[in-house]
Amino acid sequence: MKKLLLSSMWVLFLLASHAFAQTRTITGTVTEKEDGGPLPGVSIMIKGAKTGTQSNAQGKFTISAATGQTLVFTSVGYKTLSIVVSGSTINVAMESNQTQLSDVMVVGYGTQNRRDNVGAIAQVKGSDLIEQPVQNFEQALAGKAAGVQITIPNSVLNTPPVFHIRGTNSINLSSQPLIVVDGIVSFTGDFSGGESGGNALSNINPDDIDNIEILKDASATAIYGSRGANGVVLITTKKGKKGDAVVSLDSWTGITTPYRLPNVLNADQYIALKTEAIANAGLSATTAVVDGTNANGNPINTNWKNVVYQRGIAYNSTVSVSGGSDKTTYYASANWSKQGGIIKKNEFDNKSLTFNIDHRANKIITIGMKLSYQNNQNLAATTSGSLAGEAYNTSGLGRLALLLPPNLAPYNNDGSYNLNPANGAIGTMLDKGVSISYTNPAVALALDRANNQINHAVGNVYLQLKPLPWITLKTTYGIDYLYSTNDLFFDPVDNFSVSGGVVTNAASAYANYSSNERWVWDNTAQFDKSFGKHTLSLLLGNEQQSTSVLGFGETRSILSDPAFNVIQAGYVNVNSYGNSLGKDYLVSFFGRLNYNFSEKYFLTGTIRRDGASQFGSDKKYGFFPSVGGGWEITKENFWQDIGADKIFSSFKLKASWGRVGNNNGLGQYASYGTYGSSLYNGNPTLAPSATGNNQLAWETSSKTDIGFDFGILKDRITGSVGYYKDNVTGLILSYPEPPSAGLPTSPSVNIGSLYNKGIEFNLDAEVIRNGSFRWNANFNISYNQNKITSLIPGTNSITYSTSGLEIANINKVGGSVGDLYINKSAGVDPATGDRIFLNAAGQKVYYTFTGTTHYYVMGANGLTPYLTAAGTQNAISQAADGSDYGNAVPKVVGGFSNTFHYKNFDMNLLFTYQLGFYVYYGTQATLTDQRFWNNSTIILDHWTTPGQVARYPKVVFGDNVSNGTSFPTDFNTYRGDFLKVKTINLGYTLPKNLLNKVGIRSVRVYVTGQNLLVFTKYPGPDPEVASNGTANSTPGVDRNTVGNGRTLTAGFSLKF
Amino acid sequence: MKKKFLIIIGIALLSSYSCQKSKLYPALPTSVSNQDGAPFSTPSRILAQVYGLYAAMGSGQFMGGRYQVYNDVKADNWINSTANSVTAYQTWTETVTPTSSEVLNLWAQCYSTINDCNLFVDGMKTYGTAIVGSATATYYIGEAQYIRALSYYALLDMYCQAYSVSAGATPGVPLRLVGNSAYGNFALAPATVAQVYAQIITDLNAAENALPSAYYTTGTTLDATSNTIRAHKNTAIALKTRVYLAMGQWTNVVTEANKIVSATAPFTAPTGVPFALQASIANVFKSPYTTTESILSVPFTSTQAPGGQNALADYFNSTGTGEFYINASSALMTDPTWAATDARRGFLVKNGTKTVLTKWALGSPYLDWANVMRYSEVLLNLAEARVNLNGPTDVQAIALLNAVRHRSDPTTTFATATLASIYEERNIEFLGEGLKWADLLRLGLPIPAKGNVSAIPVAAFNSSYIWPMSGNEQQYNSLIGR
Repeated sequence: MKKLLLSSMWVLFLLASHAFAQTRTITGTVTEKEDGGPLPGVSIMIKGAKTGTQSNAQGKFTISAATGQTLVFTSVGYKTLSIVVSGSTINVAMESNQTQLSDVMVVGYGTQNRRDNVGAIAQVKGSDLIEQPVQNFEQALAGKAAGVQITIPNSVLNTPPVFHIRGTNSINLSSQPLIVVDGIVSFTGDFSGGESGGNALSNINPDDIDNIEILKDASATAIYGSRGANGVVLITTKKGKKGDAVVSLDSWTGITTPYRLPNVLNADQYIALKTEAIANAGLSATTAVVDGTNANGNPINTNWKNVVYQRGIAYNSTVSVSGGSDKTTYYASANWSKQGGIIKKNEFDNKSLTFNIDHRANKIITIGMKLSYQNNQNLAATTSGSLAGEAYNTSGLGRLALLLPPNLAPYNNDGSYNLNPANGAIGTMLDKGVSISYTNPAVALALDRANNQINHAVGNVYLQLKPLPWITLKTTYGIDYLYSTNDLFFDPVDNFSVSGGVVTNAASAYANYSSNERWVWDNTAQFDKSFGKHTLSLLLGNEQQSTSVLGFGETRSILSDPAFNVIQAGYVNVNSYGNSLGKDYLVSFFGRLNYNFSEKYFLTGTIRRDGASQFGSDKKYGFFPSVGGGWEITKENFWQDIGADKIFSSFKLKASWGRVGNNNGLGQYASYGTYGSSLYNGNPTLAPSATGNNQLAWETSSKTDIGFDFGILKDRITGSVGYYKDNVTGLILSYPEPPSAGLPTSPSVNIGSLYNKGIEFNLDAEVIRNGSFRWNANFNISYNQNKITSLIPGTNSITYSTSGLEIANINKVGGSVGDLYINKSAGVDPATGDRIFLNAAGQKVYYTFTGTTHYYVMGANGLTPYLTAAGTQNAISQAADGSDYGNAVPKVVGGFSNTFHYKNFDMNLLFTYQLGFYVYYGTQATLTDQRFWNNSTIILDHWTTPGQVARYPKVVFGDNVSNGTSFPTDFNTYRGDFLKVKTINLGYTLPKNLLNKVGIRSVRVYVTGQNLLVFTKYPGPDPEVASNGTANSTPGVDRNTVGNGRTLTAGFSLKF
Repeated sequence: MKKKFLIIIGIALLSSYSCQKSKLYPALPTSVSNQDGAPFSTPSRILAQVYGLYAAMGSGQFMGGRYQVYNDVKADNWINSTANSVTAYQTWTETVTPTSSEVLNLWAQCYSTINDCNLFVDGMKTYGTAIVGSATATYYIGEAQYIRALSYYALLDMYCQAYSVSAGATPGVPLRLVGNSAYGNFALAPATVAQVYAQIITDLNAAENALPSAYYTTGTTLDATSNTIRAHKNTAIALKTRVYLAMGQWTNVVTEANKIVSATAPFTAPTGVPFALQASIANVFKSPYTTTESILSVPFTSTQAPGGQNALADYFNSTGTGEFYINASSALMTDPTWAATDARRGFLVKNGTKTVLTKWALGSPYLDWANVMRYSEVLLNLAEARVNLNGPTDVQAIALLNAVRHRSDPTTTFATATLASIYEERNIEFLGEGLKWADLLRLGLPIPAKGNVSAIPVAAFNSSYIWPMSGNEQQYNSLIGR
């Protein structure tokens, strides 16, 4: 496509040309240096003249030129060659240019010459994303582009990463960017209703990605109007190239291991600690934790991590065929992937097919189509406790692996599951006076299912007409159809009820199907014209998009026969489950005008008018303009005069302003006030179900950008520096009315504002290039400051809870989105072993738990009760004493990538880092809780005798305040700054001469390590964590989350 | 050529756009818009709204289970076994904070119910009365007023000081009588406890006047189900006996109770739905749950279950999580006068070493109906009021007390009706049904110790005795002032 456009532009030049010199005919062949194959479509121009031609499908060309003239060979993806004419035959071999990005870049609804661009656009090559053990390309984007933050929230396979471009742009809507794949806006987010992730974007095989453009500023994104505020990611998949069919096969296998798991007490330590705590609580008469005895007669010492975790094994293979003739090109690929997670039974199985074809029927008409289909199984036995909303699941595997007592075993000595016969929770064996409601993970892992299957079909067809060389008319119709099926089953073995000695199973099954169907119809007209030094390009377009969702399903409970485990079996109860129905619609008109004068001064303006069904009846339409300009200073005479050209081969100043909107994540009927129906003893009911707002409109983002791009030493070093400020107004907040107002839901209101401002720096360098050794490096860093400037009038802050339980985040005017909301403390009193909290006034409040009663006292030794102003007993609480502890979203993110080539060896080393943020390690509260829960070994440093300086207070059985379970505390909060050795990829390419004999073009073998090392002071498994998924307002919470594993893979890629 | 193409494309664009514009204003596929009185446009929608009010009241967060649970476990009859803070553990340990889930959720559900009632009353005046006619409209509005009164009473019960403290001059809760449906400024100062009680009485008096005396299936055949799950005249009167008792207004209790309790045994309601004690208390807790003893109950069906962690059986019986078990050392369990043969002991079943309550016997999804009020409470309310007025020798009071006792234990007969014996009878009779805390509160009694939780003195009514107000209300209602 790009090539096509480029060639047509050359044709344009040819037509405009009238110069004709005294010449002779020169013929030759252009080949590819690497594999020696013919290279079609290479543009061959005579330097200084406007005459030129192209190589044909066999790489041959004919041109008329005079001796001494210089022929310039250019082709996208290859280094430009200049050859002085000396004979009548010129054969050239063109060297592929992997280090330089192509001259044409994809922009909204079209392509643009790189030099014309005035927007802030980052490019990532598809080849940077492959050979990695990922389930979706987003996971591989971390550290690859300035201003892009990718955080992988947990190690549950195929979970969508947190994807922020230039900070958090919203509070209640999504802050994830718009993803456009080959012109079609893709579904994004998690479509799994099971316990593994179901990222919609896993349908894009990284091996199929040609290029990714990340549009960051308004000049680039305003063409997407109401959807551009969070940035736009344009994905261009591979197309065929003219020439013989190239078959490539890429295959790897890998192993993922759990990494940096906390150390917990063994059975002896556990029993000693809890016995001490029970004695301190005065409960020794009624309560005891004691050794169990296993089948060998030894004391039980269960490592629950071994029950839950495993080494995940993964295989991945992609095969593709591409090629084409003068008129027709094609690309087809197939992927098969089977990846195991670090949690037992967690699995990602993928099969996908992609096919595209482009056909140039004649000079005017080009048609093409693309079709891709994915079948994706996201398998899990039961909850990991790591997906959003699950942090406190009593069956969350990540939590159970840490807190279950090591003196209990998963199985009884007779081989049966260790279960409490009264309620199906884990059995307490020989323990006395201890009641445990947590489940035995061995049962769920063996018998439960929480599986999801996604079938995802994406396709488009287009017709392009070029009635005149400078006019391009294009109509594209695309579909994105995603079907998700969930299959959940909860076994009868540990789900039952007992009544009067009669056991009834409480097995249940859930199944539902949801269909998400989107069509997009784009019509664009592009006009490109040059007048002398003036070059104009005008785009006009219309877009319509509609998305329909439909879902239905059922849940059944109480199995007729406990031997069954499918929903189609007999059950006592049936209910509906997972019903949904809705439709939205977007209609838009847009335009873009690019102008450049002498390739020195550049101007771009865009406008878009969007109408969207989600908005209030009074606010259906929005208008989104942008303007940007660029100045290539190296083209100015004074630049040479001051000698700057000796250093800078290019230097372009850029500035832009624009207004874009955000509606990502807004419900299809969000503006409606509704009554919904349910049942009351079988009678239909009707009751208020949603609070409406006819004035509901887009969140508006005004983006200002100033920056410059530069090249040094003939572009051997290229870089860009940018400053931006993004003012977001009209934030859609769920207006928290007093609950006594009784509204069915909090109304969505455009109120509140915030800004992001920051600096981005990106540097690419060919550090070393001498024959056999090359070293290319990329370094990028971005600093972002996020500040909430207003929320709701009269309300200074809004708090947010993790999984509906613990409030750990606050949005406060003057703070950042999702700051941590933490109570402060002052260590442990050496005299009494009491935890010392600080109240709002900063005074020390000592906390004592005696096993029966809680005391908060002022002053040591329990002397003065902690009283309110009114003189009543008081307690430390988060509402009264908590404070905004700081930002949980990193202020600085970036990456440092190095690629080395030595002879046939190559190595890529990628570091990623995130700095300037806090993480609330809530899991550590779990790990020091003085109920029956097992503890981390850090608890061994606890107070036992007066005068002792200890990290943890006196242990008292039942105490869940001193450790921070009752409210988030600073002693469980850490800086999250980290530097990760994200990937190391080491490859060896087999020598060509060896392969050519057997008809193979190239073979490369490689090994890759991912998440190899992390340098951080954060004590948890992984500072790159998010218990609450991609939610904006609850970042930086690590509550029972399963951290990322460490992966080693080995593979090969083969071309023939 | 160029022109032709441009024209064709232009026409295509225009036609495609004009065809689709209505899609910007989609109709709601699965719900009813709240605009222009749409929910009041047909008689069936209006009746569905009436049921919707009961459904809101019957939410698992409210009368569908948790309200009763909180009232029971806040007192001394239960021992917590799961230490789970989302299942009333903090209520049991008397350590709730303004942001404890039960404090937030009950408050929100009560007010959601109240607002639904307010919206319904408003909408009936504007749209609905004309649709269903004034006679039916009056009935419906009476039901809304009853539910609103019950909701306000629940708020006073959990979040406020007793009426006996300075005759209700203490801060109550915001009193809202107009429906809210859209974004606006809803800051409102709390009314006093006395003002909220006054509104409850106003609503119940209005409801008594408005409600039908009974629901019938056909002709004069009583519709037992409707009479149990919907309010009628006697339902409103019965609640008044509870409310007046909480206010300590004995004469009013007697006046109201006399409307639905005959002068002598066997006690029954002389008019309207003939409330009466069942021969066996077990019958009240069995399908079809629609005896004349059940003044109001929340029904459950497999398609409308109480929801996870809400059901009474899930808390008190062993058919679910078994959140709580009987406190073997409570005053109730150590009461020597509670005969071993008392039928009510039949609900107490040993489950391992623990004793559980099997009034609600079914396991998940827990479809036993949740009792809101039973006739035996009215009898004991009347007895207590009469003893307060006339002393323990009041003949009717003794008869009422004996009626409740004899039904389950014919061997024990009270010669006098002391207040203590009436309190104890309530304790036995309503175990698990959510009256115990209300009794402690209105009588100004400390919360007895239980398990490893110390006794809580009445003291200054601090947050360990009564619940603090919802933290969200404190944060988002600038006028709340407490």
